[in-house]
Amino acid sequence: MKKIFLLVSAFVVTNAFSQVEKGSVLIKNGTVLTITKGNLENTDVLVRDGKIAQIGKGLAAPSGIKVVDATGLFVMPGIIDAHSHIALDAINEATSPVTAEVWEGDVINPFDMDIYRALAGGCTASHAMHGSANAIGGQCQTLKHRYGTYEADALVMEGAPRTIKFALGENPTRVHGGNNIVPRTRMGVEFVIRQAFSEAKEYMEKWDQYNKSKLVKGFRGTPPAYNLRMETLADILRGNIIIHCHSYRADEIYMLLKVCKDFGIKRLVFQHVNEGFKVAPELAAAGAMASVFADWWAYKFEVYYSTAYNAAILVKNGVVTSINSDSNDLIRHLYHEAAKTQKYGALTDDEALALITINPAKQLGIENRVGSIEVGKDADIAIFNAHPLSVYAVPQYTLVDGVVRFDRKNDAADMRIMPDPKENLEMATLHEYNGHNHDACLQNTEFLFTAKIFGAFNQE
Amino acid sequence: MRKSTYIFLFCVCAVAAVAQMPKGTYGTFALTNATIETVTKGTITNGTVVIANGKITAVGTNVQWPAGAQVIDCKGLRIYPGMIDGGTNLGISEIRSEPRTNDFNEVGDVIPQIKALTAVNPNSALIPVTRVSGVTTVIATPEGGLFPGTAALINLYGYTPDQMFAGFDAVVMNFPSSSRRGFFDRRTDDDIKKDTEKNLKQLNEVWEKALQYHKLDSATGGKLEYYPELQALLPVVRGQQALMIEANAEKDIIAAMKWIKERKLKKVILTGVAEGWRVAKEIADAKVPVVTGPVIALPTREYDRYDQAYANAGVLKKAGVKLALRTNQTENVRNLPYMAGFAVAYGMDKSEALRAITIEAAEIFGVAHQLGSIEVGKSATLFVCDGDPFETKTNVRHVFINGWQVPMVSRQTQLYDEFLKREPGATRD
Amino acid sequence: MNFSQTSQRLLVACGLVAFAWAALAQEALPPVTRTYAFTNVNIIQAPGRKVDLGTLVVKDGLITAVGKGIAIPPGAIVIKADSMHVYAGFIDGFSRVGVTKPKEEQRERLKDPGNPPPERAGITPQNDVRYALNPADKSIEELRNLGFTVAQVVPYGNFLPGQAAIILLGGKSADQMVLQSRAALYSELTGNQNIYPNTIMAVMAKWRELYRQAVQAKNYESLYATNRAGLERPANDRVLEAFYPVIDQRLPVLFRSERILEMQRVLALKNDLKFPVLLGDVKEAWPLVPKVKASGAKVFLSLDLPEEIKKDDKKKDKPNAEREALEKRKAEMIAKATAQAAEFQKAAVPFGFSTATVKASAIPAHVRRMIAAGLSEDAALAALTTAPAQLLGLSDRLGSIDPGKMANLVISDKPYFNEKSKVRYVMVDGELFKLENKEARKADGKVNAGGAWSYKVESPQGGSGKIVIKDDGKGNLTGTITNSTTNRETDLKNLEIDGKTLTFSFDFAMGANPITINVSATIEGDSMDGSMVVGQFGNFPMKASRDPKN
Repeated sequence: MKKIFLLVSAFVVTNAFSQVEKGSVLIKNGTVLTITKGNLENTDVLVRDGKIAQIGKGLAAPSGIKVVDATGLFVMPGIIDAHSHIALDAINEATSPVTAEVWEGDVINPFDMDIYRALAGGCTASHAMHGSANAIGGQCQTLKHRYGTYEADALVMEGAPRTIKFALGENPTRVHGGNNIVPRTRMGVEFVIRQAFSEAKEYMEKWDQYNKSKLVKGFRGTPPAYNLRMETLADILRGNIIIHCHSYRADEIYMLLKVCKDFGIKRLVFQHVNEGFKVAPELAAAGAMASVFADWWAYKFEVYYSTAYNAAILVKNGVVTSINSDSNDLIRHLYHEAAKTQKYGALTDDEALALITINPAKQLGIENRVGSIEVGKDADIAIFNAHPLSVYAVPQYTLVDGVVRFDRKNDAADMRIMPDPKENLEMATLHEYNGHNHDACLQNTEFLFTAKIFGAFNQE
Repeated sequence: MRKSTYIFLFCVCAVAAVAQMPKGTYGTFALTNATIETVTKGTITNGTVVIANGKITAVGTNVQWPAGAQVIDCKGLRIYPGMIDGGTNLGISEIRSEPRTNDFNEVGDVIPQIKALTAVNPNSALIPVTRVSGVTTVIATPEGGLFPGTAALINLYGYTPDQMFAGFDAVVMNFPSSSRRGFFDRRTDDDIKKDTEKNLKQLNEVWEKALQYHKLDSATGGKLEYYPELQALLPVVRGQQALMIEANAEKDIIAAMKWIKERKLKKVILTGVAEGWRVAKEIADAKVPVVTGPVIALPTREYDRYDQAYANAGVLKKAGVKLALRTNQTENVRNLPYMAGFAVAYGMDKSEALRAITIEAAEIFGVAHQLGSIEVGKSATLFVCDGDPFETKTNVRHVFINGWQVPMVSRQTQLYDEFLKREPGATRD
Repeated sequence: MNFSQTSQRLLVACGLVAFAWAALAQEALPPVTRTYAFTNVNIIQAPGRKVDLGTLVVKDGLITAVGKGIAIPPGAIVIKADSMHVYAGFIDGFSRVGVTKPKEEQRERLKDPGNPPPERAGITPQNDVRYALNPADKSIEELRNLGFTVAQVVPYGNFLPGQAAIILLGGKSADQMVLQSRAALYSELTGNQNIYPNTIMAVMAKWRELYRQAVQAKNYESLYATNRAGLERPANDRVLEAFYPVIDQRLPVLFRSERILEMQRVLALKNDLKFPVLLGDVKEAWPLVPKVKASGAKVFLSLDLPEEIKKDDKKKDKPNAEREALEKRKAEMIAKATAQAAEFQKAAVPFGFSTATVKASAIPAHVRRMIAAGLSEDAALAALTTAPAQLLGLSDRLGSIDPGKMANLVISDKPYFNEKSKVRYVMVDGELFKLENKEARKADGKVNAGGAWSYKVESPQGGSGKIVIKDDGKGNLTGTITNSTTNRETDLKNLEIDGKTLTFSFDFAMGANPITINVSATIEGDSMDGSMVVGQFGNFPMKASRDPKN
């Protein structure tokens, strides 16, 4: 018991200057699950300055390099969670049904213990998303779990494509409809989205026109009003932002497919999409992707008619599918969530592992950087003591950019970076997790409801 | 009739059958060539389990079965006792976010007379989804307030609550909590202390009244006026019925055990016990049985080791605590075996983990003569699977509850069948 | 002798020791002159520049002469500041001292919380804190009593509540207080309840949008001004106009930056929009000092510090490794916060202080803690004087004791950073404030009864005089009581002090029979409030106050 409390100073906090810390390490003699190029036994992975430099047997260790002995262990790419709300100080700007202009990257919290706990579950990157209170929510931010830094922007995955959150169905209609603001029904949700896109199209055209006219010599004219919301929506129309849409019912998924087709939007990923299996052929035809739960259902009416076989059906119908957590608990065992698809739909090992590695990477547009163990990719790696799809697998090491950020044997129990100096040590603060936590998607909206909806998040 | 007509009718019937929920079948069964995990008497390879009249009538390698029995060849398969979940809202909640479908939290702080069993919906869509995974028996528990009601143990097959009732019920008590409930609990430290004292005072007042009522009831031969709350506590006071006490914080567990000791209560079960690992020895010394979980949960404190919740059950067991697991779930009680798997991964002995969801749970709930192991004379409540039930790859092939062969069909499997290859496929635009 | 009851009473009453109550004369008339000379005083003109036992002359609100052997002007009020220490008056870089808190009004619910009018959205950058200044606000005196003479204050409200002003902590009217209006645009990254923008991310998005709209509006106005014909007239937008001087880099933006993440978000905005920034009430910058330095932001560190862990001699029932580890980490965090100022000093980043969230009475103790943690006394003084003067662009008038600068001074009986030091005088804009001499409280919480007290009894005959109490430091009290009429001095008996209560008795000889008079009084600072019980004749209220030491 004592050693649990021992404060080992092996926990090093990164220096304020080095924004992105990169490491070099030789991972020796593990079973390497590359995801894209098969499984390699007794194989070494050499990491230099944060990138995978070499994969092979019996690699020479450059002098002074850190060595991780992976004998008997399984080496896989760091798990990527395509739907998460950890490391954020704000989730829902629920005062308006369209808030495209806000950006989660402005409110990153590098001290969130959930980041470390995700690392302890082999998860190296997450898509920090706006909540589902609005039909068109705010922009999200893909993060790398570089836990140990004081700097918020050190967590930003540099170069990751821009993404934005849309939401359909019960959440936006409950949040805004309850306030007598459109949308109150699924009909209204479609209208809000079409209206936003149409206005953005007009805005874009006005600005394009003005910018063209400006080039003419002697032009004197009034510029159109500058509006950050419209700017962002225009960027979606231009194809610069990937839409990630929270959705459940088959008909609303179908609706958005049509709306996006009408406006020429091609980069579309559906989130949760519990009834995606009912429109799998349509999703596949449109090239839309899906990020789903392993087995959550029945917590809302719109998921009452869903099935844990969802992921398998989508995969078998040719839809690029990932499994996400939308939960600070699930993010710690996505390998276990992915494994459930072997029970619900008999997915193979490769298919199941792809759901938490290369597929979410594709959905976030970062598949050239992460999602598999290939030379040239970022050294985001998770090392388990058993095959990750076994319930008995325990993550041993997790690396981000080649830096070991989780070390099961050596990490202290108390991994907080900035404990509160005013903390009352007499009073224990218990974060009671009673199994009833569901999608964190409605945080920050409590002020709009008088009745308790999700037990843990009641404020007023 | 012409052959084609027969074929046509057969196809129609077959299609119709797939669309509805098939019925369970009662009868005599012989499950042969199986690896039998009896839990109490070791593993039997190439064995047979005979089921008749709702009971296990034979277990072993050289076993005869009655003529006419339906033989199910279980070659390469394993037989386990049905899994028992020590705490859920299954059957008394359908859609968590729709208040009209939630029947586990009644108005009132002290309502031990309110019975969860009454509100169990035997036709809940959640039940088939659960039992096809091998979880056959659960505690359905009320929530909210000091004494939220009476929990009941139910088997997941039956068309009425009484048909489902598995022979155990207990009054539930939420021990007054002394800790801050998390980031959203904005009370001052003093307020928290005051609230705890107030709740403790209320608890003791209720108990005092219950003791009084017991004395007077005994004296008058049961002729007191209608007083449902205290009447419901009578069997608990008299040691005839169990009291399930929910306590999670270290301080609360200690306080609850002290409370129990002072009142010399013997039929008590501690539930929750999330911080049990901090006081495992004390709990073991007090010989109070525990239902703990969910195993897959976050640690209770910010500075706790990240895997503390996973390891909790294992630590308690190693200290010698009598232990059952619970998911505390409603729609995903089916994950009970995986919770056990995680407990094993993080330190619990595998056989102990299996016992925690079978025989030990049955013992704690006083139903070990019926459930919890594969033994002759016990209820035929078991499942057959093709591997380690804790592993996600494993499939459950057959489930029996009280001798009924349960259809391996649920809404989720039906949706799979319908949509794996949807017809028509992609619409042409 | 044969006295009737009434006459006896009368005699007793007459004979009662007459007590006089030295009332403090309240200043109601303006000062006689605005020329003062402080003599024989240690003058710390600026950190590192000291004149021992010199003379300081101020006239009409300005410092006119500093040094040794300076001739004292004939019309000057001479303050014998023998062996005291005078410093330039302290400058508070960010707080709300003197600003009236607006009343909570019930506002009607908005139909469309997503599109609120600016005043409901916290967007009122055009507002001016001057209109909310209250010269009689208690906070001004509280802060001034610690030696602060100037403060940069901001309006109440979230997001963009308005413009800051630099004020003097003295003056009879709001305008008189203002040293510099529109000193900075103030902002905090807090949203509105139930109204857009509600979350921090919406506040930041709105900030960027407003700023870019302001740039666009300003550019358009310039274009329009060159030739107005044929162009749509510019929209008058008071909100956007408030940003124009910021865009011109003439007006900085002052942000509340208490927490580490808040501060980083402010710096992110600065990086995006490139305006000059002042960081106010900084508490958690210590992990990121190089980053703060590189940003070029001007820093005002908070004077608030987390409480130190009390060394409790609580019996520990069992050694608890976890608890010890937690306490160790907590102590580390407290130490880091306390050493923050020292870190800034080490990194050669100039900084001022902010009193925004600290209880005024705790300020000297906190500064001493920072000094104990590595901040040099010179750096501490600089942070209170020269540095904020420079950061606020006021070095020509404030921050040091030099001829020509404003007469803002603080005089303490010992060097300011000494634990037992007391502020005796504060001068703001040439107006002198004298502080009451309060004896230090004993460490064990008991009040100090020692000294000479002037008392007054409320009885028909009045009664006044002096009580002198001596405390030998070992808890033994002795004393005498003197009647100003009879000048008779009597020893006090049974002198005891229990907490704040002083009790004693003395004998009054009246004829052959001495009467014992019992006194019980509560001591609060330098005041005594209690009563005298004269045998069976009654209970008479008594008040006393301690005479100042010199």
